[in-house]
Amino acid sequence: MNRMSDEGGIYKKMATYDKRWVYLALFVIVLYSLIRPIGMPIGISAQTKAYKAELDTLQEGDLVFSTWNMEFSGYMELKPGVLATHKIFIEKGVKLCIAFGHFEGVALPPEIFKQLKKWTDDYDYTEGEDYIIIGYVFPNEAAVAALAQDFHANVRVDWKGQSIEGTFLDEIQNAGDFDMISDYTTGLATTHLINHVVLQYGVPMAVNSIGVSVPGHLANLDAGLITALLASTRGGAELEYLINSPGPGLKSMDAFTFGHYSLIIFIIIGNIGHYGWTRRSGARERTGIR
Amino acid sequence: MSSFFKSRSAQITVLIVSFLLVFVPYFIPWGPLDWLSGKLMTIAAVTNAFTIVIAVYSQFRRSGRFINERRKGWVYHIYLLALLAIMTLSGFIFGQHAGAYEWLLLAVVTPLSSVIYGILAFYMSSAGARAFRARSPQSALLLIAGFVVLMYQAPLTGAFFPGIEGAATYLTDTFGMSVSRMFSISVSIGAIVLGVRMLTGKEVAFLGFGESDE
Amino acid sequence: MTNALFTLPGFAEGRLVGLLLLILIFVLAINFMGQAKLPYIRRVPALDAIEDAVGRSTEMGKPVVCSYGCGGFDYWTVAGLSILGYVAKVCAETDTRLIVPTGGSSDSYIVREAAVDLVRNAYTAAGRPEAFNEDDMPFLSGEQYAYTPGYVGILVRERPGTMVMTGSHWSEAMNIAEMANAVGSITITAGCYTSNMAALACASDYIMLGEEQPAAGAYLSRDPAQMASIRVQDIYKFIAIGTILVGLIAVNFGSDIINRLLAT
Repeated sequence: MNRMSDEGGIYKKMATYDKRWVYLALFVIVLYSLIRPIGMPIGISAQTKAYKAELDTLQEGDLVFSTWNMEFSGYMELKPGVLATHKIFIEKGVKLCIAFGHFEGVALPPEIFKQLKKWTDDYDYTEGEDYIIIGYVFPNEAAVAALAQDFHANVRVDWKGQSIEGTFLDEIQNAGDFDMISDYTTGLATTHLINHVVLQYGVPMAVNSIGVSVPGHLANLDAGLITALLASTRGGAELEYLINSPGPGLKSMDAFTFGHYSLIIFIIIGNIGHYGWTRRSGARERTGIR
Repeated sequence: MSSFFKSRSAQITVLIVSFLLVFVPYFIPWGPLDWLSGKLMTIAAVTNAFTIVIAVYSQFRRSGRFINERRKGWVYHIYLLALLAIMTLSGFIFGQHAGAYEWLLLAVVTPLSSVIYGILAFYMSSAGARAFRARSPQSALLLIAGFVVLMYQAPLTGAFFPGIEGAATYLTDTFGMSVSRMFSISVSIGAIVLGVRMLTGKEVAFLGFGESDE
Repeated sequence: MTNALFTLPGFAEGRLVGLLLLILIFVLAINFMGQAKLPYIRRVPALDAIEDAVGRSTEMGKPVVCSYGCGGFDYWTVAGLSILGYVAKVCAETDTRLIVPTGGSSDSYIVREAAVDLVRNAYTAAGRPEAFNEDDMPFLSGEQYAYTPGYVGILVRERPGTMVMTGSHWSEAMNIAEMANAVGSITITAGCYTSNMAALACASDYIMLGEEQPAAGAYLSRDPAQMASIRVQDIYKFIAIGTILVGLIAVNFGSDIINRLLAT
């Protein structure tokens, strides 16, 4: 077979494959890895270790403002970090004030506390005594600013309409009375919290962010505006490993790894095809998958 | 009277007073001013919540017009209004923690939004596979940097090659972070200058005025 | 926490320098806005791409889809509206159908009215008021993830020759840009935050990076206020570069003067 007489041949096919092959391959690889995980080792990043070290500074009875600035779709990515962090909070016995930054947040507590039932039962961690959910209180920046300045003027009841008077939230006059903010974010009210709470009152803030927002938060981390950063599903998996509590994060790391490697393979295939095709055809055409 | 409140000058005056009430206490901490500023922010937060009522009313009016005039897609507007009514009524009747509202939220809204979010992964992969081509020395350099970061993001790589963390974090902490910082500086200044334009009355579209309006 | 360099009694510590910088922005912006001569702004390359792409759509008999963002009246949306006005003008002059999907957030209700007026005025100015069709500016949803499939549906059904996506788009930008590519449109986008820029650079044929978008909006609108804004931003960028360089030198010589100057 005289390959040199081909117009593009195999190289052209490699350079211009249909993107649906990428979708199919990713889907099959990720699905199989999720159904039959191998349990491959993972590396633990310095960033996750620093996040855990920040949480370890909390003492029993400390007040933490847990802000769930995520839609339900974002929760799917942040789930390992959310669960692992709240396990730490429960074990340490910190008091949590949970607020949502999106109306879909109302669907989150039943889902999250169902997964944490073993911990809440073992440590007798109950709603109203150890944690209070104040609901969707961050629709915009003005609400964040108002709540930060005068907590009880803006929040009188919890998400089920029960008064918060006589609870541990009586100690909170403004946002500066919290010992830490634990933020789980897809980018909703995080900047507002930094502007109106961190910069105004100096409250340390630990952020668990989706992957695409991590580069933006790295600048905040470096500037000291946030004290710790947990990056996406992988960070959550690393935290699960550090606290010796395997969960959805570690289960999905095989899929994570294979997904990344398959993308790398597709890029390599495309580049080999591009190089071979352009050399063979002698033209510097723009190639791309269809 | 209503024409006074609708006028551009009155609205800009309110804007300037509101701005000063939030701006000044940030620099000059004084109890009464802080209190006033806090009250204003609370009022703004509550007023913002009422915009949902206006939005629902506007949607009913708009969809009603579409249905009456049998414009393109009018059947979907009936569907929209029906769903709007069902969610609103079930929320009021059953509350947000039980019954039809909770079921609709958990069984319909959240899976649908999760799907749209999940599709992103496929689109990013296909875009990356298409775009990462070494067509020139610069793009080859970008490709190598991208490889290093992608390899590091795969958790297995860090377990066997711990050194890759250093390389990947160097790339993200220098080049990546400098871009983020540049962006933050530019956007912040742009937002402040936009505020100046609004306060001086040069930008009035947000008040609902067109170019030819008074 | 670093101690601030300047303090005034009765004044919040560490905020004096910030106030002075803010006052300088006000003064510069008002000064430039009042000048008769407009500041010079170079033409952003993506604008040529928009003209070529709309021309291509006209030849192919395909519509143009242009969106101005999902956000409220923020920095990016104002730029997106200026670009929309330009695209509407070009489409009106070339008798090309323009589709403008609107919505995406609860703030987008307000912006939509301004966008409708803008496009209507563009058609009127081109002498073709009868060509304006408000049905081609559908309000898809006030929710981001309901807006996205609506937008994608428009792309799949209408198969536009060109898609221009400017303004404030968030995670849905990737969905939309990739789908536009899949239906064979020339994809011209603008990234409004770091993560978006990286993803859109992969998915788009042309991209306006960061401030190219507001600069393009100012260039097209010839609005003195917008052009003055770009000039002030440029001045402040030079101030920032100077401060960084001085700070770098100071830190290497063991001085924290710049840190203290900027500390809050």
